[in-house]
Amino acid sequence: MTWGRMLRARLTGKGRTAAELDEEIAAHLDLLARDYERHGMSAAEARHAARRAFGGVAQMRESYREQRRLPLVDTLTQDLVYAFRQLRRNPGFSIAAVLTLALGIGANAAIYQVLDAVLLRPLPVKEPQRLVLLQPREDGREMNFSYRLFRELATHQQVFDGMFASSDFPMHDPVLRGRGPLRAVRGSLVSGDYFRVLGVSAAMGRVFTAADDHAAAPVAVISYDFWSRQFDRNPGALGQVLEINKAVVGIIGIAPAGFFGERVGAAPDVWLPMALQSQVMAMDWLNAPTASWLTVMGRLRPGVAPATARQALNALYQQSVAFALQRTGVRERHVDLEPAAGGINELQGQFKNPLLVLMAIVGLVLLIACCNLANLLLSRATARAHEMGVRIALGAGRLRLVRQLLTESVVLSASGSVLALFLAWRGAPALVAMASAGNAWQLSLGMGWRALGFTAAVALLATSLFGLAPALAGTRVDVHAALQAGWRNQTAGRAKHRLAKTLAVAQISVALLLLSGAALLVRSLWNLRHQDFGFRGEGVVMIDIPVEFSKTLMARHNALRQPLFDRMNSLPGVQSAALSGFGPMGNMQHTSYLSSANRPFRDGDLVRVVHVSPRFFETMGIRIVAGRALTADDRSDSPNAVVLSETAAERLFGSAAGAIGQRISYEKNFDAAKGIEVAGVARNVRFADPRDPFGMLVYVPFSQNPAPATAVLLRGQGDPLQLTAPARAAIHELDPNLLVGEITPLTAAIDSKLARERTLALLSTCFGLLALVLTSVGVYGVISYGVVGRTQEIGIRLALGAARRSVLGMLMREVGLMIGVSLAVGGAGAALLTTAMRSLLFGFAAAEYSLLLAAALLLALVAAAAGYLPAWRAARLDPMRALRQE
Amino acid sequence: MSMDNRSASRSEVPYGTLDLMVLKTLDAMGAQHGYGIARRIEQVAEGSLELNQGTVYPALLRLEQRGWIESDWGTSENNRRARFYAITRAGRKQLADETHNWARTVAMVNRLLETES
Repeated sequence: MTWGRMLRARLTGKGRTAAELDEEIAAHLDLLARDYERHGMSAAEARHAARRAFGGVAQMRESYREQRRLPLVDTLTQDLVYAFRQLRRNPGFSIAAVLTLALGIGANAAIYQVLDAVLLRPLPVKEPQRLVLLQPREDGREMNFSYRLFRELATHQQVFDGMFASSDFPMHDPVLRGRGPLRAVRGSLVSGDYFRVLGVSAAMGRVFTAADDHAAAPVAVISYDFWSRQFDRNPGALGQVLEINKAVVGIIGIAPAGFFGERVGAAPDVWLPMALQSQVMAMDWLNAPTASWLTVMGRLRPGVAPATARQALNALYQQSVAFALQRTGVRERHVDLEPAAGGINELQGQFKNPLLVLMAIVGLVLLIACCNLANLLLSRATARAHEMGVRIALGAGRLRLVRQLLTESVVLSASGSVLALFLAWRGAPALVAMASAGNAWQLSLGMGWRALGFTAAVALLATSLFGLAPALAGTRVDVHAALQAGWRNQTAGRAKHRLAKTLAVAQISVALLLLSGAALLVRSLWNLRHQDFGFRGEGVVMIDIPVEFSKTLMARHNALRQPLFDRMNSLPGVQSAALSGFGPMGNMQHTSYLSSANRPFRDGDLVRVVHVSPRFFETMGIRIVAGRALTADDRSDSPNAVVLSETAAERLFGSAAGAIGQRISYEKNFDAAKGIEVAGVARNVRFADPRDPFGMLVYVPFSQNPAPATAVLLRGQGDPLQLTAPARAAIHELDPNLLVGEITPLTAAIDSKLARERTLALLSTCFGLLALVLTSVGVYGVISYGVVGRTQEIGIRLALGAARRSVLGMLMREVGLMIGVSLAVGGAGAALLTTAMRSLLFGFAAAEYSLLLAAALLLALVAAAAGYLPAWRAARLDPMRALRQE
Repeated sequence: MSMDNRSASRSEVPYGTLDLMVLKTLDAMGAQHGYGIARRIEQVAEGSLELNQGTVYPALLRLEQRGWIESDWGTSENNRRARFYAITRAGRKQLADETHNWARTVAMVNRLLETES
């Protein structure tokens, strides 16, 4: 017999109804009575005798019913019914408790979802733990693969089930044509085995095969998201034609939902076969032996150890390199195999610490919420001491009572968790949207089993945190005292009040931690935004021009530059307009070596080359500190000239003034023959990121150094965004085929670089305030409950002539002691926290410890106010009424 | 646990043995209704057993829940609808095991009583 079978039998009762049993009993009695009649009894006697022999029918029914049910389920139902009744009796408490838990657990679930997606979750592909990333290193430097080298290794290797190459780098803003207005899409070039090696099949249609890649078939696989956005999940998308850069491809398949490729945060819209490379990029890199541009991954054969694979692969790599790669001057090269179950994760470095900080914050918020609930339940337990006393006196076991009180807690946290899941389901995508605002990355979330499991675990932990102590304390009742004195039992009340105060102290301490952390993070964001950027961003709008790589790119940009410049400068409302290549707050940069006669290039120098049109410095509001700016007079046929940043001038020539008229070259060591004259020196700027130091910059004129313009900058009067529509129209008129990207105020572009910091500051502030509210409710509850327990004592004091002030003082001393202890504990914690968070804080100065003081002061004030209210009320008690309350 | 005093000459059904007796009865006599089972047990006991006949019904439900017997509606001697119970294969096996256990227990208790007296 299995337990499950018995359970089923008991739960269903095997269809036995009371009526059926009655029928059986009646039949039994009938048979028995006939027997007796046959032995000579009268009919009435026989019936009577039959009844006697059968025994108590009612008792038998009862034991039959007992047998039919499951005792555990039964008492559980009882407990649940009782719990619901209790909770309904206090709707205010129940709603507050459920909401508090929903917020606490929901915040944890939401942050965990993001944390899981960024840090923990493996790729949604077949057996991701067998995937490895092949990472070539040359003299220790991380490299990529050339196409030919990848082919060599893929053809001859014996250790993988397959290898694939992918690249999104030179496709950076592929442009989609022919489907409504021009737009940028996210694309990735992949080798033919990509989907097979990852073990991913199409949701509809088919994925690439090696043959597609081999034959350079004009085909594309699109992502599920793109299919939803662009085609409303219409199956007719298969066979439709996409025009991406110069490639014209037909859609052959739709990738499964949730599949985002091998890069966390990348989420391409379109995958194209590698063989189409030259149609979507400016140059043919498939046949360039030294081009290092491919990411290569492999799936280990079952049973092949990574060490074995590494050895075999390196032997092959050394052979292949000799023939497939002509990069010279490399002393040592090898390939490392790195586990890639989680894919290639570029978000991890950026978001690991902030996410861990957030996880800690929401954990602490939940802790505060639990303290609050524990306190509320504790005061209810005190109020129910009489009830518990009666029940124990009537023979209820302590365990049974604990279980019943816990059932109430479980009902609370279960309801809270359901709401929490809803909050997390809506909250996590909102969080990602906030953190990724204005940034290129995408994250696929999804309420998987992992998130559900985590939520359940958190809810369980929270329940035992807030439910267990009150349940244990609430059932530790001295029966005699409880029955005699009613619930206002002084000694037992004291012990509970002590526990309540300890909980409140824990709350205040944790709240101080949270407020301090929030203050530091907000201050850090403020520092980042209000530092000296070196340019005046107000009044400037930036028009993003995505670079569409193609063979005609340069010719097109060269033809466009002058008309675009003239047209923008003649727009009404524009004070000055300029173009820049690899412009301010951009994601791409052009770097170079830089040397002067006195100073060669040094390792660690980061030199940024910025292509500018005339009027650039004027438009950006960058002051020229020496020499002159670059103007329309710097023509292609005039002597080459550059402007340096102050840092570059000081490093190369000692001072800004000393640089004017000197020469620089873009070599490691100064080459006089290639020297270019320094025409001016511009004020230092934080060019591409608010976190940038004042670095080495070289401004070069477009006219002498052709490059695509990636940004148009407009300085206008009034609201700069009013320039948006006319500017867009003007560009479209000049070149209808040019994609115009986002148009944003320069200050907004800076803000979008701070999305991570802003998210962190905003969330920590919200949670800090939530903690403050919860804590003040907690303090209020503890003090007012303490007062209720001492009504008589206070009444006696007042009746004996104590001043109301001294009663108030007595209670406020209690509040003050609680706050004092908490601030000492929390303050020590906050000091430690500051040290731990240093790496996340920008421009931290010792003076910012005053922020911690301010946080402590705010908290002390709020807590004191929360305690003052009930204390004041107690001091105004009417002594006669207080004494009569027995 | 009953508290009333009963006559000393008739003993109560020892705890747990009613199940064994019911199984044995069904094994020996084939399908029976509750009355038949109770009568049979009383007859075999020859008046030495205090059995409230009603107590067989909870026992029958218990045995059925464990899968040792099964039941179906049929017609009794007095032409009333009655539930008939029959032993299952699992029940026969259980009976064999329990009979063995019972014999062992009885033998052990006897030995114990002999040495004590």
